[in-house]
Amino acid sequence: MTGGRKLLGHVALLLPPFGWLTVFYLGSLFALLLSAFWQVDSMSGEILHEWTLDNFRILATDSTYRVIAERTIGIAVLVTITDIILAWPLAYVIARKVGPRMKLVLLVLVALPLWSSMLARIYSWRLILGHDGVLNWFLRTAGLPEQSFAFTNVALWIVFTYLWLPFMLMPLVSALERIPASLPDAAGDMGATPFQTFRTVIFPLAIPGMAAGSVFTFAVTLGEYVTPMLVGGAGSEFIGNVVYSNVGVSGNIPFAAAYSMILLVVVGAYMLLARRFGAFDGA
Amino acid sequence: MTDESSLHAPAVSLTALTKSYGHGKPVLKGIDLTIRRGEFFTMLGPSGSGKTTTLRLIGGFELPDSGEVFLGGDKVTSLPPYRRDVNTMFQDYALFPHMSLQDNVAYGMKIRGVGKAERSERATKALAMVHLEAVGDRRPSQLSGGQRQRVALARALVNEPSLILLDEPLGALDLKLRREMQVELKNIQKQTGITFVYVTHDQEEALSMSDRIAVFSEGVIEQIGTPEELYERPASGFVARFIGSSNILHENGREILLRPEDIRLEQQDYALASHEDGLPGLVQEISYLGPVTRCRVTGADGDTGVTAMVPSRQARGLSENMAVRAVWSKESAYPLSS
Amino acid sequence: MKGFSALLLATCCTAIMAQARAADLPTSIGKGEGDLNVVAWEGYADDAWVKPFEQQSGCKVHRKYVGSSDEMVALTRMGGGKGFDVVSASGDAALRLIFGKNVQPVNMSLIPAYADLMPELKEPSFNTVKGVHYGVSYEWGPNVLMWNTKTITTAPTSWSVIYDKAHTGVITVPDNPIQIADAALYLSHTKPELGITDPYELTQPQMDAVVALLKEQRPLVKKYWALASDEVDLFKSGDAQVGAAWPYQANTLRAANVPVQDTIPTEGATGWADTWMISTHAEHPNCAYLWINHVMTPKVQAQQALSFGETPANTKACAEMDTMQPGSCKQYHADASAAYFSTIKFWKTPVKQCGNGQNNCLDYAAWQRAWQQVKQ
Repeated sequence: MTGGRKLLGHVALLLPPFGWLTVFYLGSLFALLLSAFWQVDSMSGEILHEWTLDNFRILATDSTYRVIAERTIGIAVLVTITDIILAWPLAYVIARKVGPRMKLVLLVLVALPLWSSMLARIYSWRLILGHDGVLNWFLRTAGLPEQSFAFTNVALWIVFTYLWLPFMLMPLVSALERIPASLPDAAGDMGATPFQTFRTVIFPLAIPGMAAGSVFTFAVTLGEYVTPMLVGGAGSEFIGNVVYSNVGVSGNIPFAAAYSMILLVVVGAYMLLARRFGAFDGA
Repeated sequence: MTDESSLHAPAVSLTALTKSYGHGKPVLKGIDLTIRRGEFFTMLGPSGSGKTTTLRLIGGFELPDSGEVFLGGDKVTSLPPYRRDVNTMFQDYALFPHMSLQDNVAYGMKIRGVGKAERSERATKALAMVHLEAVGDRRPSQLSGGQRQRVALARALVNEPSLILLDEPLGALDLKLRREMQVELKNIQKQTGITFVYVTHDQEEALSMSDRIAVFSEGVIEQIGTPEELYERPASGFVARFIGSSNILHENGREILLRPEDIRLEQQDYALASHEDGLPGLVQEISYLGPVTRCRVTGADGDTGVTAMVPSRQARGLSENMAVRAVWSKESAYPLSS
Repeated sequence: MKGFSALLLATCCTAIMAQARAADLPTSIGKGEGDLNVVAWEGYADDAWVKPFEQQSGCKVHRKYVGSSDEMVALTRMGGGKGFDVVSASGDAALRLIFGKNVQPVNMSLIPAYADLMPELKEPSFNTVKGVHYGVSYEWGPNVLMWNTKTITTAPTSWSVIYDKAHTGVITVPDNPIQIADAALYLSHTKPELGITDPYELTQPQMDAVVALLKEQRPLVKKYWALASDEVDLFKSGDAQVGAAWPYQANTLRAANVPVQDTIPTEGATGWADTWMISTHAEHPNCAYLWINHVMTPKVQAQQALSFGETPANTKACAEMDTMQPGSCKQYHADASAAYFSTIKFWKTPVKQCGNGQNNCLDYAAWQRAWQQVKQ
């Protein structure tokens, strides 16, 4: 009797979040899947509810969409790797080398940019990288050749790396903090040099942190469209831009849905991979 | 490391070591210590007394502010841990969670480039020594605390170092397991002949296992000696109080140590024998501890008092508020140097 | 144009006919509802004429700007078309809005300025279907070639500069499928063997040639601009030095002391003819009619023409233009509009039916896909 009542209580407790999840999240996913098999009338913009594989046929046969998908994934991978490399030294110092007060100061400094608008930060990079921007002014003053990174994939790489660095840094710091000080001591004790200790103990134990960080750097980069729009140039289209222009410009929601399926599959596969590497263990 | 002179050198020699952390007060105020080869040496003291810091200086995990560290006659004061022929068993075991037990034990050999076959054979053997050879492919997280402790021991032994440092290795175990492991550790130390330097705050553990003990207090060594020496002839009030339970009596401005087990409680008021001292008083408190019963006797002035441990059979007639006389032989009263 | 309209009539659905018979046109303009939601090109709802309108009519104007016809269509269709009252659609968007039933017929008897419109714009095929007016023609102009006179000192006369490797990395063109027509217009002069007669009516082989040209152009392009203000920024920062533009950008840049010049090259130009249209689901129809009457007055027509650099549809605007800026009526061809009008290839929505009776032209969906291939 009480057991039954208890069960009822659990159900009542879980019903709102699960109902929410089912209706809004899974429901919209299902609608997305469904509309990928529809088409749009190019003149009236009306969605024709007739089953067709045309959207997928175009995706498979037109190399444009493969190139764009490859670029999106490629830059996301590059950004992830760059952020891992950039985050390590600072994360290591924050987690293991400084006192609690200095740690707080450094963490606040890392988080500081996150309190400003993302658009403002992206725009400021336009001012830095632009032809008559801050960077070229410095280069000119120093007598060095000018750069023309503005509106190129290099600019995209730089800006994405900058945007997501804190999101790689934080999980890495907490992963490093979780490694007991006795483990590197023990490795050194058994003859491992500091580099061997790093390679065999600290790095492998920080993998969950890097995996958690890469969920941001990789998966979020993958779905981005604002940054390519603002700092990308000719040949910087992301999957998100194609989806955006099909929804917001040409009104072709079925095609956008079909293309986002690819995004969904890639992100889904990545999440499974990240979970294998312990990305969600700390949570 | 193994030239002619070092064969006769002590395993560890520390001279005038000092160490302080940050701007805090000094942790070590000048430690001089010699540990012999093959010895089971214990550093005993309350927390904050400097024993663990001394251990870390021997292992090379920290560097002293001044003073020198010698291992087997070689000066290693500023060498990093990986260049010292020492292995450590850490308080939290420090097992690598991402490796199997086998890989944990074989870690040091792998680092030093020992071949795969030899590595595997020696690791299996070391695990067998601690009865864990059957579960070598498990991860540390799948083991109980006692099992982890054994793996840590196997990992320290497998490299056949000249010295093993043990930092309160039994602290996290329950009493029964702890007793078993004390015996096992001692046996393994005897079998292998490796010098053990053992840190503990548990005086009973120190007494039962050690060849010699150094008692630490506030950054200095109060006394070094065999368990018997420390118990029977403590060099200071601190050692006397820290090792075993003790009564300290004041007589003519001097401190007299009286062990509770040396005190008899006489229920009849008869004259003292010439070789005996005594204190008449009332039984304040009786605690039955199994083989012995602890009795607190307070003298007539209300201030002086002694605690006696009497065999439980002889304590049957005692009850609280009973008038008794605590008596002890003159030889058992040990005057402490001030 | 006539042929195009006839073809549309031949192909369009009966729904349009039904709408054409719609008898429920408003017969008078009532009191303003207090608000007006405007979807317009950048520069089409300037405070210079919005403020006076708000004061006179009591309709508070809420503006949304767009950078392409596609965006305009998408924005007006969002939320079932309930989000806007009036839209300044170009010819290519206007037809799509009519077919999509996003806009309603307009009673021209309520628009006094209709009598003064250029004859060509009284019932053009892009806003009048079978005699039913779906909006009032507003202004029109050419897509021009713009360049920075400091870095490009010899004034270019051909569109070839934006396909020239000498300008690698400093070219900008609109991010807009209709830009394909600009390249087609250029090819119709440089490669007459392709047989391109109308840049909006391309067969697959012609399209392939155009796409090939545009793909060659991509590595030279710094950025495809989506909003007019994007292009202004690019020229200001020096990242772009030559590109396809509207006269509006050139005016804005000159006002900001950026040394730019613009021209219609020898190959001619594509261009736009805009129509103010009223949403089928307009919540403020009175304000919508009041707005159209306001912007069709000679004064606003002249203001708009001068600020954007285009030609007004209202013939009475010429005098006003000369009052505001002597000689501007002639400068913007408002005096001899008929001749100039015929030189511009106005934006229209590509459909399967070619003007020559063939059925093998590519429709707008194909243009959108081709543009995606160009951008990659």
